[in-house]
Amino acid sequence: MQRRNTLRPHAVSAGLAALVLLAQGAGTAQAEAAGVAPAAANGAAQVAITLTGDNGGACVLSHAEAKAGPVTFTITNKTATAITEIELMSDTRILGEKENLAPGLPPVSFTVTLGGGDYKVYCPGAKVETVAFKVTGAVAAQPTSSVGVLLADGTKGYANYVDTTVDAMVTAIDRLKAAIDAGDLATAQKTYALARPFYERVESDVEGFVLPGFDATDNAGNLDYLIDMRESNLDPAVGWHGLHAIERDLFEAKAITDNTRTLAAELQKNVGLLDKLAPTLEYKPEDLANGAAGLLEEVQSGKISGEEEAFSHIDLVDFAANVEGAQQAFAFLTPGMEKIDPALTKQVQDQFDVVTEMLESYRDPNGLGGYRLYSAELKAADAAKLSKAIQALQEPLSRIAEKVATAG
Amino acid sequence: MTLKHLSDAAAALQISRRGLLFGAAAGTAGAAMLPAAGFAATPETDTIDLSQRHPFYGKGPQAGIMTPPQRYVFFMTFDLTTQDRQALQVLLARWSAAIAQLMKGETIGQVEPDRAEAVGLDTAEALELEPAGLTVTVGLGPNVFSDALGLAAHRPALLRPLVDLPSDALKPDLTGGDLSLQACADDPQVAYHAIRDLARIAKVTGTAATRWTVMGFGRASAGKGQATPRNLMGFKDGTRNIVQPADFDRHVWVQDGPDWQRHGTYQVVRKVQMHIENWDTDRVSDQNAVFGRHKLSGAPLTGTKEFDTPDFAKTATDGSPVIQDTAHIRLAAHENNEGVKILRRGFNYTDGINQFGFLDAGLLFLSYQNDPAHFERLQARLGASDALNEYISHIGSGIFFVPPAPTEGSYIGEAMFA
Repeated sequence: MQRRNTLRPHAVSAGLAALVLLAQGAGTAQAEAAGVAPAAANGAAQVAITLTGDNGGACVLSHAEAKAGPVTFTITNKTATAITEIELMSDTRILGEKENLAPGLPPVSFTVTLGGGDYKVYCPGAKVETVAFKVTGAVAAQPTSSVGVLLADGTKGYANYVDTTVDAMVTAIDRLKAAIDAGDLATAQKTYALARPFYERVESDVEGFVLPGFDATDNAGNLDYLIDMRESNLDPAVGWHGLHAIERDLFEAKAITDNTRTLAAELQKNVGLLDKLAPTLEYKPEDLANGAAGLLEEVQSGKISGEEEAFSHIDLVDFAANVEGAQQAFAFLTPGMEKIDPALTKQVQDQFDVVTEMLESYRDPNGLGGYRLYSAELKAADAAKLSKAIQALQEPLSRIAEKVATAG
Repeated sequence: MTLKHLSDAAAALQISRRGLLFGAAAGTAGAAMLPAAGFAATPETDTIDLSQRHPFYGKGPQAGIMTPPQRYVFFMTFDLTTQDRQALQVLLARWSAAIAQLMKGETIGQVEPDRAEAVGLDTAEALELEPAGLTVTVGLGPNVFSDALGLAAHRPALLRPLVDLPSDALKPDLTGGDLSLQACADDPQVAYHAIRDLARIAKVTGTAATRWTVMGFGRASAGKGQATPRNLMGFKDGTRNIVQPADFDRHVWVQDGPDWQRHGTYQVVRKVQMHIENWDTDRVSDQNAVFGRHKLSGAPLTGTKEFDTPDFAKTATDGSPVIQDTAHIRLAAHENNEGVKILRRGFNYTDGINQFGFLDAGLLFLSYQNDPAHFERLQARLGASDALNEYISHIGSGIFFVPPAPTEGSYIGEAMFA
């Protein structure tokens, strides 16, 4: 976990935490706070965490210690308006957590099996955000976290997905070039629409490549610029290359010229380079989550507005491809995420379902790329509906990177 | 946790137009108006204190209704995106906690989390700004009280969609909503931040999506102790508004039904577009006749001072009524509506220039009453006959039940989920 500078100090010594416990504990609870948590009939030690608005937000544990074994934490937010979640952590790993805490809601609990050692309860928003918790007894075996294994497996699976997607793009671009070389406009338009989705599925992972010998700020060596740049963001020093320059010829000028053929040859070369670079990528679990979020940003910034396919108007093809790529990335995290936060996992899955069902209604077997054209009329009528469905997916999805980065 | 710094300079900032009003009145009003006496009788506390905080929790009504109107409003409605009762419960509880933070002038969560992969909970644009008298008022639309949510039995007795009213020109995308948030503050950025961050909570809990919204500048109604402000037609608006606590009890607060509804009220919101260019080129005598008041002083056409009681029976030498039959104040007056009064808490708004090249502006009409039929009664008459209709269109509409404030440790509407 990388720590950034923050606006407020948060590292709290165990001594200060204990002081807070004493200050917040009342009557008999005060005496118990220093003691070992009693076990319930099922054998799990019982620890109550009470959140109050006292002294700028307090996170108070009924007991500072438990014996090794199952421990149940029951959280009640009495009056803490600034605290909405708590986490049980071992070093930088999250072992258990509860979200959506707010005054007035019924208590919630989670149970974890803990070996001997030092833990902490993290209460973001409390005046003192970290409270120490100690477990005595046998030290648990060094965790061979099943969550970590699941997430690592997911990243390998996703790497393969990106690799095969770029492989398929190579083939699709070959077909597009062949149609352009043959001067067959109708076929070129069709193959353009069929070639588009591949890049859109994995764009957030492969857009960072700079060719050897070029500065990072030089668009002449930026593969994403050379493959996918739109007219609105052109660098005059480098000119227009790639798919959208071809789109202009095929759909606006409706003419295949020598320049179109040059563009297609360049594109074939650059996609070939991309295909060599893609297998070198390695992913951390949070990269998948951030990549998925990036693809949804692409939907909101380029497709909803109809700017991505300004000449061909096949924005819904790209839209569906962005969503498919995001859903794939999420799917590779799902086995791990189901263990980390099943409720959030289900929420994100449900919102993906809402979006994909909505996209189904735009399918058109006779349309370019299999979807209706995103005409001005369709955009005026449906853009808000489409963007709201993505918004409802973006917010919960944006919480996943942190979770997979701190798991296992 | 607060990240705000109360700036001495900002806290000391007091903006007053008292001198300005005085000067304008003294310079233009005739001797017959006795301007000095007239203004001295008006309690003049029309100042901004940006350090002002209003409590969220309490035993009475929610803040933002009886609260003297602030300078700005950000009003937003939401559609429920789930029929999961627990999700709504979580949303109302999280909104309540966040509103309590916001009204104190504090963040709703971390701005820059320790973990690089985390997203901030508070979007930060109100950091270093003062509470600015922020109030956020939560309303529950008719669809909240459904069988699917298991809340049908809790429906407030008089909550239902508004009836169709004469002259309604409602646009579907400016009408309806299952939840409403009215954020008022003396700093527009504070109001905007509140709504923005509450909308994020609606999305992240998977509960609701934004529906329609209006940002209002300039209050167009007065509360207790405030001078009467002007709407964009240039007329004083709300001269005869409800200000006395006894009138709130009689006309605004729900007094019966289950405990959790007492001190609740019904919120009616209307987006009223004004045809500004036509109005501006209308002769002043016609403008005065449309309202039944003098533009400058606010006095009824039958009087000389703003708070003179209109004399609806008074006739001119030719026998015609001085306040014409279709005058706005005649049709709306409680004397002519069996004593019906509603609390108006409107704000002026603008949406820029519309597609036809007109200034796109008007009044975000917000009213509170203990029976929506009271609004309907008044608007049915106004919509049918008001001379003002030539210059306005009701283009948006909504109705919501506003429960009372929660006590500390509770949340808005908690009793429904018990």
